[in-house]
Order: sequence, then C-alpha cells, then structure tokens
Amino acid sequence: MSRRRWLIPYLFLLPGGLWLLFFFVLPMLAMASVSLQEGSLGAGYQLTFNFGIFPEVLARWSTQFLRSLEYGLIVTLLGLLIGYPMAYTIAFRGGRYKNLLLFLVILPFFTSFIIRVISWKFILADQGFLLGTLKDWGVVEPGFHLIATPVAVISGITYNFLPFVVLPLYVSLEKVDRRVIEAASDLYANRLHAFLRVTLPLTIPGIFAASLLTFIPAVGDYLNAEVLGSRDTTMIGNVVQRLYLANNDYPEAAAISLILMGGILIGILAYARLLRGQELTV
Amino acid sequence: MPDRRNPVDPREIALQRAIAQALTRHPITRRNFLHASLLAGTAATLAACGIPAASPTAAPTGTPRLTPGATPTAEPTATAAPSPAGQLSFANWPLYIDADDPTQSPTLQQFEQDTGITVNYTEAIEDNQSFFGTIQPALAAGQDTGWDLMVLTDWLVGKMANLGYLHEIAVASQVPNFLAHAADKYKNPTYDPNNRHSVPWQSGITGIGYNPELVEEEITSLAQLLDPAMAERYSGRIGMFTEMRDTMNLALLYLGIEPASATIEDAERARDALLAQAPHVRDYYGNEYAQGLADGSLAITMAWSGDVFQLQFDNPNLRFVVPDDGGILWVDNMCIPRNAQHPVDATMMMNYVYQPEVAAQIAEYVNYICPVPAAREIILRHADEAESEEDAEYLRAVAESPLVFPTDDMLARLHSYKVLDDQEEQRWNELFGEVVTG
Repeated sequence: MSRRRWLIPYLFLLPGGLWLLFFFVLPMLAMASVSLQEGSLGAGYQLTFNFGIFPEVLARWSTQFLRSLEYGLIVTLLGLLIGYPMAYTIAFRGGRYKNLLLFLVILPFFTSFIIRVISWKFILADQGFLLGTLKDWGVVEPGFHLIATPVAVISGITYNFLPFVVLPLYVSLEKVDRRVIEAASDLYANRLHAFLRVTLPLTIPGIFAASLLTFIPAVGDYLNAEVLGSRDTTMIGNVVQRLYLANNDYPEAAAISLILMGGILIGILAYARLLRGQELTV
Repeated sequence: MPDRRNPVDPREIALQRAIAQALTRHPITRRNFLHASLLAGTAATLAACGIPAASPTAAPTGTPRLTPGATPTAEPTATAAPSPAGQLSFANWPLYIDADDPTQSPTLQQFEQDTGITVNYTEAIEDNQSFFGTIQPALAAGQDTGWDLMVLTDWLVGKMANLGYLHEIAVASQVPNFLAHAADKYKNPTYDPNNRHSVPWQSGITGIGYNPELVEEEITSLAQLLDPAMAERYSGRIGMFTEMRDTMNLALLYLGIEPASATIEDAERARDALLAQAPHVRDYYGNEYAQGLADGSLAITMAWSGDVFQLQFDNPNLRFVVPDDGGILWVDNMCIPRNAQHPVDATMMMNYVYQPEVAAQIAEYVNYICPVPAAREIILRHADEAESEEDAEYLRAVAESPLVFPTDDMLARLHSYKVLDDQEEQRWNELFGEVVTG
C-alpha cells in the first residue's frame, strides 16, 4: 500500500491532465495536421505535408501579422498606463470601497463582449454623443471621423481587456507589504523614489501577468477590428475568421493560427527572459 | 442569400422594428380571420395537389407506412415511401418568414394544421459558407444532417448538387404548385437544371443604393460607384460588400464581362478595378451598410433590394437602382440534404408555400422578391380589404414596389452569380482577399 503512495499526486493531476490532453493537445495536433493538408471543403482535404504553406502564409499576410503585433503592444502599454493607477488607487486608497471598486471593474463583463464592442460604435459614431458634441462646438471639423480608424480599434480592444490588466495588478499591489514602503520613507526616499524603487519592482509579477492576459488575446482579437475598423485595420484574427468561415480554407487558417501561436510563445519567452531574476508568479 | 445576416447587428434591430411596425399595420386577428376563410378552400386543394399519399410506387420493399407523429428511420431516398412522417426540421435565415417570432408564423401554423406535420423551424443560417461548414462533415460521411429542408443561395445549391449532397425531388409530382405558379425566370435555372434539387424561397437583387441628397446626379451606372475618378467625389462615403460573390460579380459587370463566362484573368481585372476604387471606400460591409445608408454616413453603396425597400419606410428619399450595365439576381432556394429523415414532409412544405395565397402572405412580411407573380393581385386584394388606411397603404406599397415584384425591364438587366468550381473559388477568394484586407 505504502509503496503506491507515490501515485497519489499523479492521480490528482489526472483530471487536469486529461482535460489538457483532450481539449488542448489533441486539437493542437489536429490543427497542425489540417495546416499540412490540401484540398477543398467539397472535394475533401488530403494530408500532403505541405510545409510550404508556412512561408507562403507568412509572406501573404505579413502586413496583418505586423499590424496585430503593433496593436497588441499599444493596447498592452495603454492598458498598463491606465490600469496601474486604477489598481494602485483601489489597493492603497480604496479603503472600505475596495470591493465595490473591484466590482465596478468587472461590471462590464456582465454584458456580452459583442454588445460592449458595438457600444463603442455608438460612442464614437460620426454624429454620436462624443463627436457630435465636439463638432457642434467646432472643436473638430465636420468630416472628422474615428470609426474605421486604428484609433477606434485600439480604443475598443484596450477597453475590453482593461479588467485583465487591473485585476492581476491589484492582487500584486495588495500583496506589497506596507511596512517596506514605510521603511523606504524612513530611509529618506521621497514618494516617487519609494514607488519607483520599492513598489514598482515588487509588482513586476503583476505587470507580467497583466501583459500576458492582455497582449495574447489582443493580438488574436478580430471583433473590434471587424466592428470598429475598416480594411486598413484588418488584423490577423480577421484573416483567420475570413479564411475559416467565409472561404472554408481550413489549411491556411490553421497555418496562420500556428504561426501566431508560435510567434506569441517566442515573444513571451523573450519577455520573461527580459525580466529574469524576478519572481514571475503572483 | 448573401452574407447579410448578423444576429446582433444594430441593423437587425432596425429590421426587427420595421417588421414589428409591419405587424402592427397588420393586426394578427385580421390575418388569421382572412386565412381561416381561406383554409376551407385551400385544404381541399392541398389534399388534391399536395403529396400523393400511399401510391402504387410506394414502399415496394414493404416499408410500413408512417403515421403522422412517428419518427421514421432513415431510408435510402430511392425507396422512400412518399408519405409524410409528420415531422419537418426546417433551417432558414433570420427574419425570413411571416413573423419575427417564427412560432407565430401564420404560414407555419396553417401548414401544421393542414398537414398534421410538426415543423421544427430554426433560424439557423446566417451565412451560406459557415452553415455549409456545419453540415458538410455529415454529408461527406453519408449521414443525416438533422435538417429536412434548408434555404440556401443559388451558387451553394449548384455546388452541393454537383457534389451529390442534395436529395432529388420530382417537381412535377411533388411540387406541382411550383410549376403552376412560379415566374418563368425561376424555372430550370442554370445552377440547378430542371429544378431537380431545389425551388426558390425568395430572391433579391444586388444593385446600388443611394441617398439623392448626398450625390450630385442620378445614379444609373456602375461606373458612378466603381470608376475611381467618379467615386472620388464621394470618397469616404462609399460602401461595398464583404460578400466575395456579390462584389466580384458586380465588378465584372462594371467591366462589361458576363459573370457566367468570366475567366481567371477577368477575375484578376475585377480585383484591379476594386483595388483602384478601394481608397475611396469607407468600408466593406455585411448587413451594416444599411445602417450607414440610413444615417447618411454612406452616400452611395452596394445594396440589397429588400433592405432598401424596408429603409424607404423611414426615409422615402432613398433609392435602389439596377444599374444600366447590370445587377445581380440571387435566389435563395429550398432544398433537401441527402439522407434527410423526412424528405416527403419537406416537399410538402415546398408545395405549400407556392400557393399564391401563402406566397402573398410571406411577401407581405419579408419584402424580398416573391417568386409567385400571382401573389401581387392577392396583396392588392388584401389592401382593398384592409381595415385601416395605413394597412392598405403598406400593402399597396409592397404590391407596387419593383423591389418586391420587379419589372420586366429590371429583370432583363439582371445576371446570376458565376458558379465556381473549387479551383476558381480558391483563386477568387485570394483575389478578393487582397481587396478587403488592406
């Protein structure tokens, strides 16, 4: 009996392991296989080990790949710039309103993603509440528009992923021992220095988690670009959506997805390496 | 129907509202009353010209006759007994029948009453390609897709028929009302010769919609939309479609090329024309173009006839034109997937909606092009019988609109989509992909 005790931790891992196997590993293998097939939905697809599809796809959609990367980075930076002060205020100044404030952060999630995106379409509409007012005041010229521009797309994605920035940052700020900050001021650090040299480094795990949770879905997002953008803001997610659902071109869509995944993985490893020496788990 | 349905589109809400308005203009009670009196007449007709019940050709293998309500086992089509099974799974597009809540549809209710067939009507189709993606695996494996009747656009019907994915129907014996009442234009179409697999549900025109207040001249030709020099004047206020077939075929017509005979080189020229126009295009739209046309952010746009007809209730100034150089007539067809469980029930539904009374009833709500010309007289009669002037006015607008009952002159200028084989489709998709993804 006791000789089998070593099995127990593995038994506990089993449900999670099976979950990953069936819903991650196998679909991944299926997708890898689809990407190497050729054919059409009508005539069927044959596995031809068409590795040439990867460079081909990368060349054909390089603009969209780079644009998605660019939007993802801008969104992550904006998210951190907006989200850090929010999380900081809630963690350090929230007082008895902490729970209420956190609730407000996740409140938008009570409506569907698509409704939130479409709401932005109304907010930024040519004659909408924002631009209509500005046009009436003569602040912007009548022909000015935000919808169908990168500004609208990036705003939409930033807004939608902001809670994913705030929550991990909050957790990590909440964990900062206040006595360490007090110690810094006792040692004649002014508030800025105490923040930059003590608080900020201590919250790097939070920043790392927030970046991942924002950057990864932001790069793959297509709905914001679809609703708020135009052809000049097409992201790689829109290409996948079009290839998969409109053209039924599964191999090319699968190849793009694999490249995107690989690219993001490499980027994240590089990012983790950049922060090496830091404890990266919250 | 082209890719024009998006369930959460604001446009959908506007459409819902438009239909709700139509509903209030037509009190349900009036319609029910009207049809109650009709039913007595049609029930007899139906029994006569519907589906032959147990006939000598039926069940040579000794298949037991199925009673209404029973669930039959899947049978090979060749030996399918021509008796109804009492059930029908019907996949259609949203807002494409005579009630915005399909369970309230008078057509479906009467059909159930008359035939004893329970209809499971689902608004399951929002896009041809993605719907085909959901049923293709079952079809390829020779299994039942779960649907008995589905409404798909002509080019997909042609493609599926070529692949052997559609159940063959005997129009003459199973859908006699189609032969008796459909407009000639719909008989023996190029995408499905002799209507061996399909009969039209509704159809529509892809042309140009515009707001006369925002353009300088009357719009009559595709050049005004597609020629960069002309389009420049409306730069940023031009709408085009994300639907590859609509946009590519329209560009071919602009270049003076008959879509049916277009080669790959022609498609490349269409791509070049679209790319030249692209800098002036505000966006490539699905349904949402209608919103833009309504709120004035689009001056001139590709448009579907039925949408503009609906928009005209709010803004009578809006126009829809079939350009002199041509427009596209697309046809959404009822068809039965291979290995469907209840094909006989499906053909009964096909025959049912081709009664002019029923066709009129659907046309009054749907406002796309009605395949039954005789429905026009009936709608006019409904207008005369209408209780309120508002009702009558609406019904007359439907009957007299060339967008619901097009004139011969319009029909003569309409072309069908080119039916693409796999290779062509792949190439066209690539070419069009260059246009819509900058």
